[in-house]
Amino acid sequence: MDLAIENVSKSFPGVRALDGVSLNLKGGEIHALMGENGAGKSTLIKIITGVHRPDSGRVLLDGKPVEFPTPRAALAAGIGAVHQERNLIPRFSVGENIMLERLPVKGGLVDYEAVHREARRFLDMLDRGIDTRVEVRTLSVAQMQIVEIAKALSLEARVLLLDEPTASITEHETAALFTLLRKLKSEGVAIVFVSHKLEEVFAIADRVTVLRDGRIAAANEPMSEMTRQRLVTLMVGREERVAQIRARPSGASEVVLEARGLATSFGHRDVSFELHRGEILGLYGLVGAGRSELARTLFGGGEITGGELRVNGRPVRIASMHEALGRYRMGYISEDRKQEGLILMHSVRENIAITIWRKLAGALGLVAPRSEARAVMPFVKRLEVRTPSINQTVGNLSGGNQQKVSIAKWLAAEAQILVIDEPTVGIDIKTKTYIHELIGEIAAEGVSVLLISSDMPEMITLADRILVMHGFRIVGEVENDHRYETTSKAIMSRIHRVEETAA
Amino acid sequence: MNQLRRLVLVEWSGLAVAIVIGAAILSMLAPNFLTEFNIYVMLRSFCVALLVGFAQMVTLGVGQMNIAVGALGGLVAIAFGGMMEVYGLPILAAVPVALLIGAAGGLINGLLTVRTGINGFIITLATASAFTGINLGITESIPFYKMPPALVAFGEQRIGAFPYLLIAPVIVAALLGLFFARTVPGRQLLAYGGNAQAAELSGIPRERTIVMAHVLSGLLAAAAAILAVAQLGSAQPSIGSDWLLLSFAAPIIGGAALTGGHVSVLGTLFAVILIALIENGMVLAKVDPYWVQFLLGALILAAVWLNRWRAVRTGTA
Repeated sequence: MDLAIENVSKSFPGVRALDGVSLNLKGGEIHALMGENGAGKSTLIKIITGVHRPDSGRVLLDGKPVEFPTPRAALAAGIGAVHQERNLIPRFSVGENIMLERLPVKGGLVDYEAVHREARRFLDMLDRGIDTRVEVRTLSVAQMQIVEIAKALSLEARVLLLDEPTASITEHETAALFTLLRKLKSEGVAIVFVSHKLEEVFAIADRVTVLRDGRIAAANEPMSEMTRQRLVTLMVGREERVAQIRARPSGASEVVLEARGLATSFGHRDVSFELHRGEILGLYGLVGAGRSELARTLFGGGEITGGELRVNGRPVRIASMHEALGRYRMGYISEDRKQEGLILMHSVRENIAITIWRKLAGALGLVAPRSEARAVMPFVKRLEVRTPSINQTVGNLSGGNQQKVSIAKWLAAEAQILVIDEPTVGIDIKTKTYIHELIGEIAAEGVSVLLISSDMPEMITLADRILVMHGFRIVGEVENDHRYETTSKAIMSRIHRVEETAA
Repeated sequence: MNQLRRLVLVEWSGLAVAIVIGAAILSMLAPNFLTEFNIYVMLRSFCVALLVGFAQMVTLGVGQMNIAVGALGGLVAIAFGGMMEVYGLPILAAVPVALLIGAAGGLINGLLTVRTGINGFIITLATASAFTGINLGITESIPFYKMPPALVAFGEQRIGAFPYLLIAPVIVAALLGLFFARTVPGRQLLAYGGNAQAAELSGIPRERTIVMAHVLSGLLAAAAAILAVAQLGSAQPSIGSDWLLLSFAAPIIGGAALTGGHVSVLGTLFAVILIALIENGMVLAKVDPYWVQFLLGALILAAVWLNRWRAVRTGTA
């Protein structure tokens, strides 16, 4: 099925999101849609799927103009999508989420045997490890992402729109997804693929359309004639810069955070590591390896059932985030900034000041907005948070600027140990480089960082040492030489070794 | 062990424990607690309460609230009574008409909610006042007393400890359980309450789902009103005026999420049993009513806390 966008414009209050955008998608091709955050990619996808109506312009399906008043209409026309926001029902099982819009019915009742059988079929193409019968809310972010993709695949749509499907999954699952996409392509499905990861786009896409500030910067260009340098220039409007992180001697300074044979209620066994002052210690693992769960346990979100955790040499039991920050100056930047990192309906000022309200409180325990502003301003400046004012609602900022705010609040709190979980998921190249440099900078200032990431290039850019986690255990440690080929090979070999022994 | 563990982890386990403890205490304090007649009295008060709880439960499920549950119930009650007393309609004709009025009230709530885009809480707050106004305008606060003898008999008769009245809520509970667990509209209703945006993107019709929840709520409120008339033997304009608190207490104690997306038919049923138990105990044990109020509060807290503890244990908090 062919899909064409003709001269589509769309405005939201105060923003011109799309301005005369056209795109030509053919059946049997994978079409990359590129652009920085706020360039209009998601808006375009939402217009095609009937979430938004265009102010002007047309959508053509096989040459015929179509209008989708609701997402339901777009689905019926054979257009399936993975949206950037999470779109699962938390209380429903994985299987029911995948089959939601066409639950199989037998004798008037939902046939759950069929639900799980069908869901299993699509899920198996990506990940055999996820049980279709568990509730979605018990899954990790990455597993939810996989469920979203399986759901879109299960539509067996003729046009498939994928808005950053790989944002929070690892290379392993990405590879499985790509195999599938190539198969769908050979069956004539038209696929739009949005990603900030250039490696992926070059690996999978046939043609590319680049958006910048709501306008077309390049339209329907064959990928074979595109260079990385040119693509980045088209997106950013200038040349790309890779973060230069100063190499630090690892293991030279004192140990600030140490785990000895840690076992947790999540199922971790025998987890040991040492984090030194001013070090960036990487924690890499595939989906379901237990990385985020380990981080959560450090802050009292899970029970430590064995072994010991030490901060600055003394054994500790941390019951809550509050205690972690107040007593041990530890902070946690969540992988899920929208759900856990920020209070989206509150202002930039309040979101940053939240960690230091106690410090800012005056004689009667009152916090004056003026003293908040004074305390917050230096961080907004330093992190170059792009916001019209510090009183702006955080929900209105771009993803990159939201992430800066969620980092700023821990800098304001003067955290000495920072656990940073997937810091650049869904963040554009320019801001990503900036955030990498920032993490390097704060480490150089003596903050110790435990970096959790499934973005291999990011890990290799930033980390001094990399712990490899698999099946809730640490299965190896890799000294990072900051060269992609050698380090990534070393990491993957640790994982494969364990998988082979297990098999 | 595993079996026991699973039992402790189900949603209504806290309520079941509270009911057993409460019943044990009451049977010790009041020797006539376990008599056949007393159990009949309790079950009788349980019937209307359960339907009222269900009426709110369905709107909670879709992520809305129906403040008009009681007001609509009152309107249906006097319409039901009036049809029979003034126009001499037979019971079997009056019941479906009464249900239809309830459904129509729900339809108005639902349509106003989806068409205006105003939250259902506000809409039903307004319609509640309107329904009560119609009720009092028609009756001028005077009840309809002359109910058909068959209806009054149905409200009083029993087999052993079981009142005839119990038939309706039992059937409704079974149907609702099936509706939410196994039918497509039921699943869609909960899906929409669980994550409205995701449900819509999955092609679930927004307007139809919200309206359906409100219609169902009106229907259940009407069923409760009919039973209330049968139980009282007269159509009082004041029927429904004390339903609102109960309507929220029952489903929420029973484990429903205030934000929508999750309800429990069995949990609501247990919650209503618990409430009936406590009210009955108040009368029987001749305990100072204030202390029974206190006990009710403590039991509710204990039950909810146990549910919470269970959620934390299973990692689904």
